[in-house]
Amino acid sequence: MSVLETPRIYFKGQVTWDPITSNNYNFNYDEDTGETIYPSVIDKVKKFRAQAITQVGTQGNWNPHGTHRVTFFDSAVCGFDVGAGTNTNDHFMNAAVNLQGMLVDLEPFGGISSQIFFDTMCFGVEGGYGIFASRTSRMHDRYINFARNSANSMIAGVASVVWQASFSKADGLSINAFDSFALQRLSDALKRDDVLGLTVRFNAYRTIYFDNPELTNKSPATQAAAKELIKKLNEGGFQPNPARSLLVGVIGLWREGEPPHEPGDRALIQDANSPLGSAWVRVDSASLVIDLSNSVPEVDKNLAKQDLGTLSIVAVEPTSQAVTNLGSLPYSQYDRSAYEATAGIVTVSISADAVQALTGQDIQIRNSQGDQLLAELPLRGIPATPNLYLDEGDQVTARFQVYQRGVPVSARIALQLYQTDAAGDPPSKVMQVTTDQNGGLTVPITAGAGSITAYVPSFNALDQPTNGINPQVNTYMYVRVRPADTSLAQLPPTWENVYVKVLANWNAMAPCMDNWLRLDDPVQVKAYAAILKRLTDPANFESFLFMPVTRDMSVGQRTLLYNFLDAPAVKSLLEAETETIPSFAELSRSMRRF
Amino acid sequence: MIRLELDQLSDVTDAQSMLQKAIGVEFGTLPPYLYALYSIRPGTNPQAEQLIKSVALQEMVHMCLASNILNALGGSPQLNPQKYPGPLPGDIGPDGTPLTLHIYPFSKQAMEQAMVIEQPEDPPDFPVRELMLAASPKRAVTIGQYYAALDNFLSTLPVTDWKPGRSQVVDNQFFPGQLFAINSYANAHKAIQEIVSEGEGSRQGTEYDPLDFQDDIAHYFRFGEIFYDKVLTKDNDPQGYTWGPERLGVDWSGAYPAITDPAEHDFSKDPPEAQAAQKACNQAYSAMIAALQRALNGEDGALGEAVRAMFDLRMAALHAFTVPLADGHTVAGPSFIYTPIPTGGNA
Repeated sequence: MSVLETPRIYFKGQVTWDPITSNNYNFNYDEDTGETIYPSVIDKVKKFRAQAITQVGTQGNWNPHGTHRVTFFDSAVCGFDVGAGTNTNDHFMNAAVNLQGMLVDLEPFGGISSQIFFDTMCFGVEGGYGIFASRTSRMHDRYINFARNSANSMIAGVASVVWQASFSKADGLSINAFDSFALQRLSDALKRDDVLGLTVRFNAYRTIYFDNPELTNKSPATQAAAKELIKKLNEGGFQPNPARSLLVGVIGLWREGEPPHEPGDRALIQDANSPLGSAWVRVDSASLVIDLSNSVPEVDKNLAKQDLGTLSIVAVEPTSQAVTNLGSLPYSQYDRSAYEATAGIVTVSISADAVQALTGQDIQIRNSQGDQLLAELPLRGIPATPNLYLDEGDQVTARFQVYQRGVPVSARIALQLYQTDAAGDPPSKVMQVTTDQNGGLTVPITAGAGSITAYVPSFNALDQPTNGINPQVNTYMYVRVRPADTSLAQLPPTWENVYVKVLANWNAMAPCMDNWLRLDDPVQVKAYAAILKRLTDPANFESFLFMPVTRDMSVGQRTLLYNFLDAPAVKSLLEAETETIPSFAELSRSMRRF
Repeated sequence: MIRLELDQLSDVTDAQSMLQKAIGVEFGTLPPYLYALYSIRPGTNPQAEQLIKSVALQEMVHMCLASNILNALGGSPQLNPQKYPGPLPGDIGPDGTPLTLHIYPFSKQAMEQAMVIEQPEDPPDFPVRELMLAASPKRAVTIGQYYAALDNFLSTLPVTDWKPGRSQVVDNQFFPGQLFAINSYANAHKAIQEIVSEGEGSRQGTEYDPLDFQDDIAHYFRFGEIFYDKVLTKDNDPQGYTWGPERLGVDWSGAYPAITDPAEHDFSKDPPEAQAAQKACNQAYSAMIAALQRALNGEDGALGEAVRAMFDLRMAALHAFTVPLADGHTVAGPSFIYTPIPTGGNA
């Protein structure tokens, strides 16, 4: 199943991350209400922007002029495997891999609910060798590994993460193979009835900030870099400060029953003291294909992989605990060179008997001393919508599918479903639930007031989120409920109301918007009414250009905005002061804070 | 076809002059490309819009890379905004008559002009080594050949002529992977290879490959796709590629009814709104140049100011294309008239 099946094509390169970071802090943003927290009532947007700049030095707010853009660069196809081992001899080699999207955290204060909203992903150029994929669904991150590279201790530089999205044949996926053997094989495989399309999985690692790989948290050099950024920001213009990561990735088949957005293969989960991050395995007719893209840590800034000696792969019979040796992985198969050549995917030949036995046994990876590093958790509950956005009052049914050793279960399974707060702290609630006869779990959700919560399925003590969500262990679904703000919808659609109650939130938080539309200019806003309505239309929620990019506008705010945009342009409505005259409600509320 | 005058190269000063001319050429292509780009009505011609925009952005990158080389050789880049209609700096044309660049709205004419600007020499007739050693004092060469001659000469400069870390524009904020510091001949060679291949494609034997160093389509062929309304497609014929059969999807009627060469138009007879729109465009254009001038000479943060001004120019242009002139029918985009901004203030 999945990208671990052949044919598959490897790529590697770099990616820039340019999120606005001002909403990452609870002193700037209320993630329940989606509202900006202003430092003052008078000139609140101006002062918020100024404060955000100050926070570069005081609070680690490293990118107040971000744009949320994600851009692949220097990324190209670097190898393929059609079932006969890794090969680099093909016309498709070196084809550019392009992705441009928007990085958005469903839960902005943490880093385990990130998404990339995008429209297309391209391998190669139109008219030439290529794979052209229109979005079927957004890309999600999962399994963040906070121990990937302790030598790169700068913000999230220590971590790596798995990104995945799948592209349906029904959404216009196309391959121009010409005489490329790799593409021909992929194109042929795509024609099979049970192949839904293609899956792209990539691992982002070695993230650097301020364009300086030598920086570490709180070091004098980092403080100096922050000072330089503050100076630039204060001098004016548009001053983004994107981070960048290395990436290795793979594109392969997406078969029926496989989760589109995260690995659904057999899961080898990190042991508590293991240096290895979690991995995934597919058992073929004569081999094990192991995805170590997120597993083996680097030990320095030069990206040398930790040498754990020869790793052994074993099968453990669950009842008797009898151990069968399946094969081994010498360092040369997981060192940096191997990692970059095949996106961390390694293949180990095994006997047909072993393949048969593995249908009921757990796979483990052990070090040369026999210590368990990774152990299979046979049951996994994977959400159909890993990051779910709701509006207050919505009633929906969320769904999880239970997989056993990488295959959808065809039986009723009892499990516990935990509910945590936005931070993924120890659960506040647990439900005993049972799936249907096909391993499907439905979870009715009635969206209350604005809030963020997470749902975490658990099958036994090994994956209970008793200490909160462990992204190396747990699968989970995040749910963000936007408040209804019905009172806002009732307000007269004056410019003052629209600006203060709606647009000021993003005018403060997103100075980059000045490049495209002055949100504090009623004439411009009115002039772009048709475009604004199109970009904020919930029907375009998945689009690259959807506004607000943070997907936190409430129904009430949108109603008020549309009432203004639809109203005839009345001069008196447009002339109200906005920055200097707060509403009475704001004055009242401002006296309840300090 | 653009033909640049190639002088004999004897010392680093000559290389600096060549680089200054190259900066002028790269920058000089921007107004024609931007006018065509912004004159496309919203919602029409998405492919053409994307192609023109991609070329314009790469011309910006080329200008920055050429400036980086010049700075690395101890020079100081100067942006000298030219007038339109007019020739690119250094263009002497293939027959002694330079190409007069016009500011056309999105049209076949605009794309044809763009192809002429980017057109490579085919077949190649001018080995690089001969260029450098040529006894003839003046030669007329394509932009690609011009860079090739420069590259060859730079390879002969002593290491001491290179000043590492001097006033470099890098990709820490914009153009990831495309802008990099020039600290040595190796860096300069890489930059020139990228500039030439992105503009003209790459030469393989006696034929041109329309793909650049990243296997993307070179500028000349991107404009060709729009001009012919055909996707450049790999083919088994001896040429390797054909135009089409797939259409790109060009709708020439999707352009505003914009006048050509707005700098020659007398706006004093137009409605105040049109005059104000022109003023806003020219102010943003002037601010962009002022900030770019500082950025190319190493001022930290100035590129961010230039980019903001570029967005301001875009907004002003998009508005200008919707404001009728006195005839009530035609419109005008930016005239690209530069007015120096007093020093000391931010753009």
